[in-house]
Amino acid sequence: MNTRFSAIPSADISADRAIPPAEVVLAPTTLEEASQALRIATEQRMKVLIWGGGNHQGYGHRVHPDMVLITTSLNRIEVWEPEDLTIVAEAGTRISQLEEMLAEKRQTTLLPNPSPTGTIGGALAAGLSSYKRFRYGPSRDRVLETKVVTGDGRIVRSGGRVVKNVTGYDIPRLMVGALGRMGLIGSVCLKLIPTPAAAVTVEVDDPAVALATLYRPLAVLSTPSGHSAFLWGTQAEVESQAGRLGGEVLSGHAWPPMPSRPVAWSLRLPPSQLSEGLERLPEGWDYVAQQGVGITECTADQVEIGAAKELRGWAESVGGALVLTNGPETLYERIDPWGTPPAGLDYQRKLVAGFDPYRVLNSGRLPGGI
Amino acid sequence: MAATLTGSNTKLRDDLIRLLGTERVMDSTLERHLYAKDAGVYIGNPTVVVMIETTEEVAQVVRAARHHGVPIVARGAGTGLSAGAVPEVGGVVLVTTRMNRIEEIDAENHTAWVGPGVINLDLSRATTPFGMHFAPDPSSQSACTVGGNIACNSGGPHCLSEGSTVNHILALEVVTDTGDVMIVGGGAPDPIGLDLRGILVGSEGTLGIVTRALVKLTPNPPDVRTMAVAFPDIEDAAATVSGIIAAGLIPAALEMMDQLMMQAIENWLHAGLPVEAGALLLAEVTGVTEAVEAEAEIITRIAHGNNALSVQVAVSPQEREILWKSRKSAFGAVAQAAPDYYLHDTVVPRTRLVEAMRQVYEIGQRYQITMMNVFHAGDGNLHPLMAFDASEPGRLDEVKAAADELVEICVEKGGVLSGEHGIGIEKRHLMPLLFTEMDLDAQARVKEAFDAGGVFNPGKVLPEGSRCFDFGRPVPEGAWV
Repeated sequence: MNTRFSAIPSADISADRAIPPAEVVLAPTTLEEASQALRIATEQRMKVLIWGGGNHQGYGHRVHPDMVLITTSLNRIEVWEPEDLTIVAEAGTRISQLEEMLAEKRQTTLLPNPSPTGTIGGALAAGLSSYKRFRYGPSRDRVLETKVVTGDGRIVRSGGRVVKNVTGYDIPRLMVGALGRMGLIGSVCLKLIPTPAAAVTVEVDDPAVALATLYRPLAVLSTPSGHSAFLWGTQAEVESQAGRLGGEVLSGHAWPPMPSRPVAWSLRLPPSQLSEGLERLPEGWDYVAQQGVGITECTADQVEIGAAKELRGWAESVGGALVLTNGPETLYERIDPWGTPPAGLDYQRKLVAGFDPYRVLNSGRLPGGI
Repeated sequence: MAATLTGSNTKLRDDLIRLLGTERVMDSTLERHLYAKDAGVYIGNPTVVVMIETTEEVAQVVRAARHHGVPIVARGAGTGLSAGAVPEVGGVVLVTTRMNRIEEIDAENHTAWVGPGVINLDLSRATTPFGMHFAPDPSSQSACTVGGNIACNSGGPHCLSEGSTVNHILALEVVTDTGDVMIVGGGAPDPIGLDLRGILVGSEGTLGIVTRALVKLTPNPPDVRTMAVAFPDIEDAAATVSGIIAAGLIPAALEMMDQLMMQAIENWLHAGLPVEAGALLLAEVTGVTEAVEAEAEIITRIAHGNNALSVQVAVSPQEREILWKSRKSAFGAVAQAAPDYYLHDTVVPRTRLVEAMRQVYEIGQRYQITMMNVFHAGDGNLHPLMAFDASEPGRLDEVKAAADELVEICVEKGGVLSGEHGIGIEKRHLMPLLFTEMDLDAQARVKEAFDAGGVFNPGKVLPEGSRCFDFGRPVPEGAWV
């Protein structure tokens, strides 16, 4: 059956994680092909793993697939309406490629773009946002329309290609962070943001002072080596805001790199708990903390189950979570990547059942083994 | 339909009285009539109306209604326009206006836990001392409730920059179809699992009943410029909107009104609107002083490039307030044009605004209906207001036919049925304009996941027969349900 589908261009496959062994590896080039593949998978009761750039495969419970569906050949940019600030693109499109194109007209999706191989669908399925979310909100707020292929091969469009819409249930939002359980994200319409003229990074001593002084900065980040405020706007605006802080001002945005290490965690806390969270990080963990947002992305060389469980226990006690986002496969057998499942699991299960009745698509990946 | 209290309905009423006492269970003809409609043109028929004060009461009412096989329609202040809170097939109208406590304002996290009955503007007033506000600001904000905003994913002028209600809701306490209480979402970012909070917002009371909400509060801007720009016609004003967006600006708000609407407002409010102009654009920019000054300058330049007749910048807070008052009280001013009005809500891509407006006026001429317009131009969100006299036989049907045509032209231009009012009863028959049978079936599966028994607000949002794809077939063997 794979003769109907294109061969997989090996350059599109990330070296970050290897595609797990499977009977069939397919790279559909259209949503119709993806639909056919999933119909077959449903008929044959095959377990399917969706694979984009391979950057976020560390999220969630492990899937041992019979079929891998690679999305990177779903990479057409369908419509870009610069004056409407919207774009419709297939979800296998690389964010880096898309952003390069959008930059020509000084626009951006604001999607996180740490790896050249990251795809739109991957970032959305994992529910990821860039550091700019402090100012602009999470990625899910900018997903206007989705076309998805359900586990049983239906192609379902929801939402619309306008910036404001309450026509029917907000299924596009449900797709974000669903790790493919509600369907393979085939294409999306995203709301774009104009890129302002001036950008600076200011080193600050105290992030709390920066948050209190600045009016809605783009981001205030903390790392083991210090704190920085990131500003965006007109030249006069960023100069005035930066002047109020008084630290060293660098032109442009010097986003801190996240050291690539074998184990990665995402610590998510109410913003006011972030400082305490940093104090509680186990020794030797690298981190980038988003002040005012409450997210701290951490990486470590060692697997420290006990320390992670202790941190998770505290995080959950204040309404947060500690999510394993990358690590050796064996680690997932020793610790639940999500922690305590959230409320409403019954409803989550029923929602997924409506979109994937035979549990073929990324099955078991979500909290609670959904 | 289920209007008279007989048989099981009498037993339901008795059960409700046992739970809530006689004072909060209302079933006289007058009381049922008062809760039969929202602010739109559709009229329903409540079986019984209950005033709720606590989450536990909501849970008990849900269990009682389920037991008696009677549906529940949740309702806030009743300012909705799409008949989302209209009890079309009878049922318990569950009024949440007494759940109006602002429980906790967390200044550090910029959040507040509030009851669904809290009035939108009251929330922003209560958070003013902390330098924050609740960003969604529908025109009805002095009357509408946060619960209603959540149900309809309401917008308002400032959702151009801040987004609709869903962007400002972090968590919800919900009573489910089983009468259980769950909290979805949370105060920490990116809660794990499916985003149930996101799907519940805008679900028009069809998936559960919200009993508390954790809302996100937005910092008040240090400075603001509100500008009223007069143009010879709508085309020039719309070209200015496009020019502003193309220049890379997303103002806090970009609102437009046409001449007829301006005249109606001016007769009533005496706000000093330029009634001789063909269109007025209200533009507001917020931020630090340097930013608002620069942005106001850019907007002025673009406006002059598009034949602006005058550019007035509100200098004092009072001037700003009167401009916004004229915008937000527009619908009250219409009474002088005709005894009834039908306020529409559709969206087009903002680049198609001018051609859509031309067709709006054309439809008005053809049906001989006065079309007045005041709308969220920056979002492409049109609000044609049709003034008419409902006592003229057949007139309401003509107005509804014109309304359907308006939606059709917007969908043809790549738009959608509703930007902020919701679908309710008003537009459910138009859903197939936008969605295929398979798309609607997927939406019906969402409803089924939360409320297979149809206890919550039956018949709203989706047209009958939407759940069609395995109709008549038994659930296949091995299916995971």
